[in-house]
Amino acid sequence: MQPVLRATDISKSFGAVRALEKARLTVQRGEIHALLGANGCGKSTLCKIIAGTVGCDAGEVLIDGAPAALGSPRLAEEQGVALFYQELSLVPQLSVGDNVFLGREPRNALGFTDRAAIFRETEALIARVATVAGAGLTPDALVADLSPDQRQLTEILKVLARKPKIIIFDEATATLDRRQVEVFFDILRELRAGGVSSIFISHRMDEVFAIADRITVMRNGQTVAEFSAAETDRYAVVYAMVGETGAIAASVRDHAPLKGDARLVVEGVKAARLGPVSFTAQRGEILGLGGLQGQGQKALLSGLFGAEPFAAGRVTLDGVDVTARRPAEAIAHRIAYVSGDRGRDSALPGRSIFENTAIASLVRERRHVIPGALFRTRFAEVLSGLNTRYAGLDAPIGSLSGGNQQKVFISRWLSPSPGLLLLDDPTKGIDLGAKGDFYLLARKLADEGATVIIYSSEDSELLSLCDRVLVLNGGTVTADLTGERLTPFELTRASYGDAA
Amino acid sequence: MTGLRKFGGRTWIVTAAALIVLLVVNTVLQKNFLEPSVVQSNLTTFLPLVLVAIGQTYVILGGDIDLSVGAIVALVNVVTVSVIAALGGDGTAVALGLLVGMAVGAGCGLLNGLIIAGLRFQPIVTTFATSIVFSGLALWVLPQAGMSVPEPYWRTYAGDILGLPTVYAIYVVAFLIAAFLAARPFMTRLKAAGGLRTAAYQTGLRLGALRVSAFVLSGLFAAFASLCLTGETASGDPLMGQSLAMTAISAVVLGGTALSGGVGGTLGSVLGAWVVGMIGSVIFFAGLPFEYQTLVQGLIILAALAGGVLVTRR
Amino acid sequence: MNRFVEIAKNPLVISGAAILALLIIGELVSPGFARGDQVVRLLTVSAILGIAAAGQNLVILGGREGIDLSIGAVISLGAVIAGNVMSGSDAAIPLAFAAACCAGFLIGVVNGLGVTYLRIPPLVMTLGMMGVIQGGLVVLSRGVPSGNAAPALMAFVNRSAFLGIPGILFVWAALVVLMALMLKRTRFGWSIYAVGSNENAAVLTGLPARRIRVLLYGLAGLCGGFTGVCVIGYTGNSFISVGDQYVLPSIIAVVIGGTSLAGGSGSYTGTALGAIALVLLQSVLTTLNLEFWGRQVIFGVTLLLLMLLYGRQARLRV
Repeated sequence: MQPVLRATDISKSFGAVRALEKARLTVQRGEIHALLGANGCGKSTLCKIIAGTVGCDAGEVLIDGAPAALGSPRLAEEQGVALFYQELSLVPQLSVGDNVFLGREPRNALGFTDRAAIFRETEALIARVATVAGAGLTPDALVADLSPDQRQLTEILKVLARKPKIIIFDEATATLDRRQVEVFFDILRELRAGGVSSIFISHRMDEVFAIADRITVMRNGQTVAEFSAAETDRYAVVYAMVGETGAIAASVRDHAPLKGDARLVVEGVKAARLGPVSFTAQRGEILGLGGLQGQGQKALLSGLFGAEPFAAGRVTLDGVDVTARRPAEAIAHRIAYVSGDRGRDSALPGRSIFENTAIASLVRERRHVIPGALFRTRFAEVLSGLNTRYAGLDAPIGSLSGGNQQKVFISRWLSPSPGLLLLDDPTKGIDLGAKGDFYLLARKLADEGATVIIYSSEDSELLSLCDRVLVLNGGTVTADLTGERLTPFELTRASYGDAA
Repeated sequence: MTGLRKFGGRTWIVTAAALIVLLVVNTVLQKNFLEPSVVQSNLTTFLPLVLVAIGQTYVILGGDIDLSVGAIVALVNVVTVSVIAALGGDGTAVALGLLVGMAVGAGCGLLNGLIIAGLRFQPIVTTFATSIVFSGLALWVLPQAGMSVPEPYWRTYAGDILGLPTVYAIYVVAFLIAAFLAARPFMTRLKAAGGLRTAAYQTGLRLGALRVSAFVLSGLFAAFASLCLTGETASGDPLMGQSLAMTAISAVVLGGTALSGGVGGTLGSVLGAWVVGMIGSVIFFAGLPFEYQTLVQGLIILAALAGGVLVTRR
Repeated sequence: MNRFVEIAKNPLVISGAAILALLIIGELVSPGFARGDQVVRLLTVSAILGIAAAGQNLVILGGREGIDLSIGAVISLGAVIAGNVMSGSDAAIPLAFAAACCAGFLIGVVNGLGVTYLRIPPLVMTLGMMGVIQGGLVVLSRGVPSGNAAPALMAFVNRSAFLGIPGILFVWAALVVLMALMLKRTRFGWSIYAVGSNENAAVLTGLPARRIRVLLYGLAGLCGGFTGVCVIGYTGNSFISVGDQYVLPSIIAVVIGGTSLAGGSGSYTGTALGAIALVLLQSVLTTLNLEFWGRQVIFGVTLLLLMLLYGRQARLRV
């Protein structure tokens, strides 16, 4: 049978970085095709080339056997390709309906925008996800006012509205909770029944095996393996992704329950969609925050750091009141914060790696003049201790991969090491190797006496890393899981508010 | 980002409220303020700013800015006046002069748009640079103020067309153009281009065409404004409209259009332009010395901006 | 080849090359253009622009569409204040500097407060402030110029202090060094880049972004006030729109010097070279005996060409 999409020998370089080298991808009509690989393996670039957002240096893309001209997203769309953008392609200032039909607005006889039709058709699309959309997802709601998962749903609807024959879902489930993923999978199956092909990218292996018909694995810009999902298993797929050289970080979880005094005491803290929440944590403890997306975990972390101060409540660390009104106060109390949203919360684009690393130390050490030589040696050591690969301290931060950037951002807080480390989904979008390094670092800091609080969107990460997990639901703690009770089953149950 | 809708909405309301307050104050200060002839005279005074502000709105919605509109006004004025004079000053000459003037305005806008969207130049510095070029060309066409337009031109401008005062007819036409554009997908797409450029590109919009169109509209509306000013002054002036660009930007912002692009609309800009105009009128009738005009106008604009933001905060 | 392109794209290299080229053209067109005393005179003019551009540079580096359109009005205000404080007396020069700088700083702080705490877009805030100051000047002076420069101040700007070089050039040179040290070697300098590059990230590393931004606008006002005193020293007396001619050149000098209008990258050394290049260009055009309109057109086109070199924004498709 003629494949609907065949991409062969695709190569692409960004400056000196080779993103793709003779990558290939073949997708049959009406199949769900998973595209897997560690971050930075080139799968997002390959997708963007197919969707016309990025140009390729060499190679050929055939759609229905004919060479496809993919000079711009518009041309790609004309040939039936639609891409779900990982970073979303929504305009925050416009309404949901305007976004869904942007560029292909229904018009009336006079050529004016048919607003009634936009409203009607958007409403019909929203109805498909109505059970999991949450309050406020209406055709005339502004995208800026939506929650992250609602935006993600909107992006899915926008892709569907284009009625394409090939859809690329790049991390379409990243901020969706389990119920939303189920609804999304129903939509995928419907599409499959209608002959539409989906290319599905996900970091969650469960999802891949739950939905995919076939799997293509990429590594270092090349296509290394193709499987039929029914005839393979996780081990084989992960092995193909990681290759000979990589090794998956072993569990670094310390199962022995900690015995010590509570050093971090959080009493009745409240914020907009949080609380009251009270808990304690010990020295050397890695405390996880679990639960579905958006249940107050991020609000709790940014409240502790003073980025979005609590409306009420009190926080003490080693008996000292550390309730922070702004980050500078938290930092003065040796509290550190690393966000998973590097572009928004961490990166100083256009500045050097050195500046990106050393900037926090100026504040922490109350220095007004930069001790260049001292800082250079210090941070070169810290970064090499984290296995960071970089050209030099003066190279721009943008020259690093996501994982290496994240190492730079955590290194901001390592010298001197923090008393309380807050990690907000820190491994989002970074490769397996860097994740492993990250786990080891968190464990090492805890062993050296820090208290670590981590929120992760991946349950497996919490399960392998944390000594204890607080599960949040609707802004309150619904379960406190340790030891034998810290299992996937209990975690899932508590996440859905089903407290044991 | 939350409350963005309220921002757009409320600034607009604050401006409308400010306009009403100004109208009331002016009515108290100037007894004949509501007489049709006075209303018409005021609306005539505000018309050029209203037109420039409408054009500027498109550029700002698209995420750019056009500092060259003042220079375009001057260039259109001198070109139109010269063309009319060169062709002998009869009816055909006036008609041709108007057409050439509009073409010059649209051409200047097209040039701005092509340089900015096509060559990816920064809009602020680019339109500043082109404004220098345009005013240089205006001085070349007509080195000094002078050269009057024929009587039918300014007489028609001050008179009626089909029983409707010409100025009102121009308002109606301008509003129709604005309403026509607002009802077309163009407006949503332009807002998308200004709101989040990458998203608009990924969605497959023709960003270049959208941004260029916005600049052409801005140039065209500047030409309309220039032709109106010419009807008012009845002469050529290479330094005409120098402060219009900045005043129009103030009017657009007062009308609730975000300078960052993507939020707002032309109706707000019209209100904003009227507010700016009314401030001048109120100052005059409050009996303040002329010197106070800039100061008070500046203070009120700043206060209105601050007030708009403070209202939004809650 | 790539290395060559990289060097050639460096704003400092481009500005430097432009300066050299303009000097050569000037000398060819009008022998004596590049003579020592002529160059010193041009540098003096550049210094005045350069000091104003220092303030502009700071607010632009601070990002968030930072720009100060009120700098011209502040320069005028500084000149008027200084003229009235001095009234031709040498003894009052320090007081004139202090008063002008303080007034400028305060106005800048108000700009900064409006921009940060009221979140008024900088372009609009400073534009409004420009109107307010100009209006205030008209009201205060009733449109009549008043006050004049002290002889020592005029000597400071126009006469040789050492080796034929006037004092203002030494002050400017010191400012270039000071700015470079501040931007590269101090926490405040790094904070400016950090805040301009990503304000949210800067706050999350503990930097008081809003206070920094207010201070930047304050410093811009201070530079404006200082420039105002220099301007009255250069011209001898002041009129209320004397500073207007510096607004857009101060921005252009910053752009030519390679500072991104988006904030977060650039240097004052580049801006200083940009100021010199701009003044040279104006001077060459005047020397060419072009009519005013021709100078304008060439000036504008040159600006566009300069932007073609490095004022361009990133491509959406890579």
